[in-house]
This record gives sequence, structure tokens and C-alpha cells, in this order.
Amino acid sequence: MKDQQAQPAAGEAPVRNTRNTGPGRLLIAVYGVFAISATARAGYQILTKFSEAPLAYLLSAFAAVVYILATVSLAKAGTTWFKVSVAAVLVELAGVLVVGTLSVLDSVQFPHETVWSLFGRGYGFIPLLLPILGLVWLYRRRPSQANAAQ
Amino acid sequence: MDAYFWIILVVGLLSTVLCLGAGILKKAPNDVTILSVVAVEVALAVYLVGSLVRVIAGEPIAGEAWEFWGYLATAMLLPPAAIYWSILERTRWSNFVLAAVGVTALVMAARMNQIWY
Repeated sequence: MKDQQAQPAAGEAPVRNTRNTGPGRLLIAVYGVFAISATARAGYQILTKFSEAPLAYLLSAFAAVVYILATVSLAKAGTTWFKVSVAAVLVELAGVLVVGTLSVLDSVQFPHETVWSLFGRGYGFIPLLLPILGLVWLYRRRPSQANAAQ
Repeated sequence: MDAYFWIILVVGLLSTVLCLGAGILKKAPNDVTILSVVAVEVALAVYLVGSLVRVIAGEPIAGEAWEFWGYLATAMLLPPAAIYWSILERTRWSNFVLAAVGVTALVMAARMNQIWY
């Protein structure tokens, strides 16, 4: 609570149009780790064994791009970046649900080699949890809240 | 799993528990939590030096060598990045960021052990 004492004392502290404060910092840090690991993994898979499972490795690369986009957009201020964040997190949620389901139903076409396979079980189900927490955070810091306070 | 892994396991878990505790108690990052993350970096540096010595002594890495070093280099970037990120905004949430370093280092050390043997 100390961090809010610097704000004007007039009741509610103004909510700025940002997502990179408080819990958002933890969210960005975790997204950052996933962006790095997904990029490294996809790069490794595509460079060394792309022909073995092109679909899975392209999905890996796609997941990496989504995580990078989510990390960067969450760290940026403004309504445009907010929209980018919402899009990235929604795509991530759809990705983990679709790829997760397909990897359970058809393990031949979807070998367990992407971050989203089996709903991210290989990563402690964090890939499934992350977009849900992301949407909650984005909703709580939505731009209309910031405008109303200003 | 070799001694390097167990060192990082103990130091990493200790750091994570300390930082989590501080975050739950609504404390901002302090000397204890930041130094615990520094300790994780030191444990990784020990792993680095030990691995360099073993490679120079002629011990082969069973998996891909560059993958091993890639993991190690990335793991060693995390503590300074997290400390920098936590100093920019000193709230309880930054302690949760610091808490993430220990477990991440632990997971990466486990993977590094798999690659080595």
C-alpha cells in the first residue's frame, strides 16, 4: 500500500492506462520467461528436425510469437496496446484449448511437443492458467477505468 | 542428477520460499529477498565454472552441447533481470517476480542435467 501514498490524497488514486504495475509485473515476468523459452524451443525444433513434425513445430513458433506479443503489449501503456494485449491473450487461450484438446484426441498428428500440448502439462499447466489470469488483469485495468478516474 | 543440480534445488527453493513469504506478508523487496536471488545466481555460476572445468578435463556432454550452454546462459540472465525489474517498482508484487527465479532456475537445472548425462 505504501506505493500509493505518493498519489494525490483525494480519495481514489487515479488509475493510469497501464498494465505494467502491481500484479501486472508478475504477469509480464512470467510471460517473458515463456516468450524466451518458447522462442528458443521453436527455433531449436525448426532448425534441427523440422521435417519430423512440421505442423507441431510451426505451432511452437506461432505460440512463441503470441507470447512475445503478449509480453511486449502488457508492458506498454495506452489503449492500442491494451487491445493488442487482449487479442494476444485471447489467441493464447484459444491456442491452448484447441491444441490441448487435439493433442488428447489425436496424439499422432499432434505429438506432445508444443507448449500448448496436453493443456501445457509439460509446463505445470501454467500455459492454461496464464491467459485466464491475463484476461482478469486486463479487465481490471481496462482503459475505461482509467478514463473514468481522470 | 548431480551435485550442481542439488545445490540449485536447495538454493532455488529457499529463495522462492523466502520471496513468496515476503510477498504474502506484503513486504517490498528487501536485502533478504534480493540477496536470496543473488545466491541463485552464485549457484548457477558454480555450475558454470564446474561445467567448464569438466569440459576442459575432457568429459563429454551426452546431449547437444550448445543446448546445455544455452540453458545455462539463459538461466544466468534471469536473476539480474528479475532484480532490475523488482527495483523499478518496489511493491510486494516484485517479491513474487523474484520468487519465480528460484523455481525457474531449478527447472532449467534439471533440464541441463538431462542434457549432460
